[in-house]
Amino acid sequence: MSSLAREVAVVGVGYSELSRTGEPNPNALALAAAKSALTDAGVTSADVDGIFEYKFGPESPWAQDMARLLGVPDLAAFADIFPSGPSGLAGALAGVMAVASGACETALVYRCLTRAAGHQGGVASGPETVSGRDQFLTPYGYLGGILVLLGLKKQRWMAEYGRPEEDFGRIAVNARRWSALNPRAVMRDQLTMDDYLSSRMVADPLRVLDCDYPVNGAVATVITTAERAADLRHHPVLVDAMAYATGRGADWMFDTDFLYGGAGDCADRLWGRSSVTAADIDVAQVYDGFTPVTVAWIEALGACGRGEFGDWVGDGSRLGPGGDFPLNTAGGQLAEGRLHGIGFLNEAVLQLRGQCGDRQVPDARVAVVTSGVYPQCGAMVLTRV
Amino acid sequence: MTQMDVRVHADPRPVPAPDDVSRFYWEAAANHRLVLQRCRSCHKMQYPPEICCVHCQAEDFDAAETTGRGVIYSYSVVNRPLHAGFVDALPYVVALVELDEQPELRVLTNLVDVPPGTPLSCGLPVEVVFEERGSVTLPQFRLLGITS
Repeated sequence: MSSLAREVAVVGVGYSELSRTGEPNPNALALAAAKSALTDAGVTSADVDGIFEYKFGPESPWAQDMARLLGVPDLAAFADIFPSGPSGLAGALAGVMAVASGACETALVYRCLTRAAGHQGGVASGPETVSGRDQFLTPYGYLGGILVLLGLKKQRWMAEYGRPEEDFGRIAVNARRWSALNPRAVMRDQLTMDDYLSSRMVADPLRVLDCDYPVNGAVATVITTAERAADLRHHPVLVDAMAYATGRGADWMFDTDFLYGGAGDCADRLWGRSSVTAADIDVAQVYDGFTPVTVAWIEALGACGRGEFGDWVGDGSRLGPGGDFPLNTAGGQLAEGRLHGIGFLNEAVLQLRGQCGDRQVPDARVAVVTSGVYPQCGAMVLTRV
Repeated sequence: MTQMDVRVHADPRPVPAPDDVSRFYWEAAANHRLVLQRCRSCHKMQYPPEICCVHCQAEDFDAAETTGRGVIYSYSVVNRPLHAGFVDALPYVVALVELDEQPELRVLTNLVDVPPGTPLSCGLPVEVVFEERGSVTLPQFRLLGITS
């Protein structure tokens, strides 16, 4: 029995092609992912009565666009979620809530990204005057999305705990160990710690290999009731628990808990609702937009105590194939490509179904998925019963 | 030519547009004072300015002068341009400074006047200085004991 009002299952996962070049039409990417997810689930567009998506802007089609392109007869529940949510998983969290509440029966959720929307490097032009909260950020060269913020977070982490950069390098190296086993991943060359430590600085001490890799691509997921799921194609994966959190003083820069933001609250809430515990995790899909985010989440989830990641992770092999804490088994956003949370959800589902081929974690029954971080935390526990 | 034109050509970095909530802060900076909101109910200070106290939600503040002293909480060195306005400013240091007045009271700033080769670390003491950028004055911080 889950903590939700109605039992909810994830029944379909879909992907578009992922690419590192070109400017494919976002509607075409999202539609391809949506059709692939519906086919995987064994449902048709006539079954869909809810659509939820997360967007920055025009890189992802609106829910109504998707409904029209798919030929969905009508939507009983829908939302376009702007980027204050827990990254792309926001769409899936909303879909779970809508199905659990009875607002809809079968929800399609997706995240579509383009390199243009995901790339934060380069020289942007910008406003000459800034207002609101930006008054206290932009004049100081706080630019490039949150690159400088992550430089500050990484620096503080190393100072607070007296840890070396290698702790973050374990996450970067691990991503490629898994992506080598994932034909869909865009970055499959293996990395050494030396590669990591010699990669260029983006906002010192944040290195380019601390950052996820922008791609053109879309991911989609179909969510419905456990009752319906019993009649569909695959053995259903159940949503055991879900949680959001912002943490106190909700903010990226001035939050009370600078190193973790809401991750601790989110994890505590998640485990408080779950039928399993952190010790039961078979496979972990942990947000890796930047490596300091992943390290913070792993500690928040309770794999180890605060500041203990470096000692806990050792040489990093426990995170990799054959390890006791398989992490980001598709390569994550660092290596599979930046798919914003839904990529992690889909990989968790494929692992729990036992469909991951060379990278399959044997007999995976419990998966944890986290998305976003700091004031925008979201997480799910998924189980195969 | 207007003053704005002079500013744009002289320094392309963005400047704040003060509003009803922030005006006291920038006006104090123009007088070379670092002044923050201090709640009349719980007496805590906060930054950036808000419409109410984020600690106790009261709505009345005093404008409290600070010593302008603190320590580096964290810092990041930007060596490549992220914005056209900062191309000529490279490299620059973005720092979070924790002020002496109150634990966890942090201000985002640049670390200015850093002598080349000076090793930086979290915890180093800093003091406020003021930068004139066009018609606006920005509080900035430098390492304590550095004179320029």
